[in-house]
This record gives sequence, structure tokens and C-alpha cells, in this order.
Amino acid sequence: MKTDPHATIRDLIDKTLAGGASPEDDQSLQEHLAACAQCQEYLSAGNRVIAGLGGFSFDVDPGLEGKVLRSLRVRAQQLETAQSNRRRIVWGCVAALVLLITGSWVALEFGNLIAAELNLPPMQVQRLLLLLWVVPSLCLSLLFPVLPLLSRREERFL
Amino acid sequence: MTSVGRVSSDSQQIARGLRERDIALLHALVEQYQYRLVRYLIYLLGRRDEVDDLVQETWVRVLERGRSYDGRSRFEPWLFAIARNLTIDHMRTRKTWSLDTALDTDDEEEQVPRSPASLDPSPFVLAARTEDAQRLAQSMQTLDFIYREVLVLRFQEDLSLQEVATVIGAPVSTVASRIYRGLQTLRSLLDGAKHEN
Repeated sequence: MKTDPHATIRDLIDKTLAGGASPEDDQSLQEHLAACAQCQEYLSAGNRVIAGLGGFSFDVDPGLEGKVLRSLRVRAQQLETAQSNRRRIVWGCVAALVLLITGSWVALEFGNLIAAELNLPPMQVQRLLLLLWVVPSLCLSLLFPVLPLLSRREERFL
Repeated sequence: MTSVGRVSSDSQQIARGLRERDIALLHALVEQYQYRLVRYLIYLLGRRDEVDDLVQETWVRVLERGRSYDGRSRFEPWLFAIARNLTIDHMRTRKTWSLDTALDTDDEEEQVPRSPASLDPSPFVLAARTEDAQRLAQSMQTLDFIYREVLVLRFQEDLSLQEVATVIGAPVSTVASRIYRGLQTLRSLLDGAKHEN
């Protein structure tokens, strides 16, 4: 089957205009164009389309930049607040965990010593330490990660 | 310094500023890219009325997602990709037209919404400043957005085929074929209009 050389060249012209032609393609295109008025016309029509695309000049609302900057400032502030809240929550969680670990360790290691010092039964001292130190820090370390969820729920109700 | 080196150092600077959420840098970026962003969104939407809101949303998204820009490639494709995703989401959720008809696919690999018909005057008719642009203006409105966007990215924004492919999330071959088809459609419409006159 014979192929139309002009059709092939027209494809090549489109490829060149799109920016996807190789130097070899470009070379054969130039050779063909030098002797073919029909394909030259096809190329110049393509160039006219591209030039036409550059002939649109859109108006931009002069107040748009100010609006954009205002919304950027507001959003940046919101993000900053959210980030510092997140940081506070992480640090709170870490502190609660440290307290939990320290409390458990103190209850185990020093429960007997404290009981002997205060003349109390060791079990009672350990229970007291658990109740006043370990359980509250455990509650805090569990509470901190759910704080953002609670505040979001509160915002939804308001 | 070579142009590649300059692009890379500019991009690195932008990436650093975006990581730090530097408002002064964002201000400079808004000033530098505002017109190009507006033009790109008009080409995408084929209308003017919703562009300003999308411009604002795009810059806010740039602020929020700035940390994902690594500065290894140019800033423009990243910016246009954000604007494009927002526009597509916006077009999908627009109430005045049906999503089923919008996602009517032909032979394209990707499902992208089509521009809705608008009663407003075409932004291209209003913006045409040259004779060729005036001839193209009506055709631009009827041309599918998938062709308009590759044409503006390639010929107005001067993005490479690879960069255009990154923006639209499609293979380079798809970008090239859309450019050919877009050009062919406009070329025949332009010829038709010329013969009519």
C-alpha cells in the first residue's frame, strides 16, 4: 500500500510544532518543505494558530492579589495555630508517658522503702502511689491523643 | 550561571520558602504567577466568572501543600497541577450540570469533565487582541478543555512535553496526540472562518 508523502509530512509538521520531533525528523521536514508549497501552507497555518493563541490578553481584577494575600495570611495563621496545638499535644503526651513510667518505677522500687519509713504496709503505699500518680498519668497519656477529636466535635456542635 | 542552574537554585529557594511557609515569598510568587494562573484557569474552564475563586483556592493549597514541592523541577508545572486538580474537583461538584454527562468519555484514556455550556460571553472573544485571535475565539469555546489546556501549557506557558505530562498526569504520547488534535481542530476552524470572510 502506498502512503501519501504529504500526509506523513503533515504529521511531522504537527510533531515539530508540538516540540516532539527529532533532529532527523526536522532535517527531512526541511528538505520536503523546500520543494512543497502545499506543506508550507500547512505549516504556516499551524504557526498562525499558535500565534493566534498568543493574541488573547485577559484582564485580571486588580483587587484579586489583595484578596489572595489576605486569605493566605488567615490560612497561614490557622495552620500555625493548628501546628502549635499539635506540638503541645505531642509534648503533653510525652510528659504523661514519662510520668507514667517514672510512677510505675517508683511504686515498684521505692514502695517498700517509703512504707518502712512511714510505718505503713507496703501494699497500701503501692496502692496509694498507683492511685495518685500512675493512674492519673495513664489517663493523661490516653487523653492527649483524643483531645483534637474532642475539640473538632465541639466545633461541629457550635 | 547556566539557565538550568538558575532554575534549579530558584526552585530550591522556592521549595525552602514553601517549607517554612514564608508569606513574603508567597507574595512574590503571587505577583509573578498571577496572570499566568488566571490565563491557565480561563483556558481550562472556558469561562471567567469562577476563575478568581479558584485562583485564591490554588494559592491557599500552595501554602498548605508547600512541603510536598521538593524543588527538583520547575515551580510552574507543580503550580498548574494544583490549579488543575482543584478545577477538576470544582467542575465535578458543580451543581448546574450532570456528572454523568460531564464524564462522557470518547477515546481518551483519562476521564476528565467537559466544560459546561455557558450563557456568558466567551472570555476568548473578549480577550482577543489580534486578527488571528479573533478568528480563533469562537473555536476556543467549542474546543474540549483537554485540548485547550495542553495548547496553553505548551504554547503559552512554554512547558516541555514532559512537564505538560506531569501537570495533566498523562503519558507524553497522550500529551503529544492532544496537541496534534487541538492544533488540527483549530487549524481547520481557522481556515473555515477565513474562507467565510
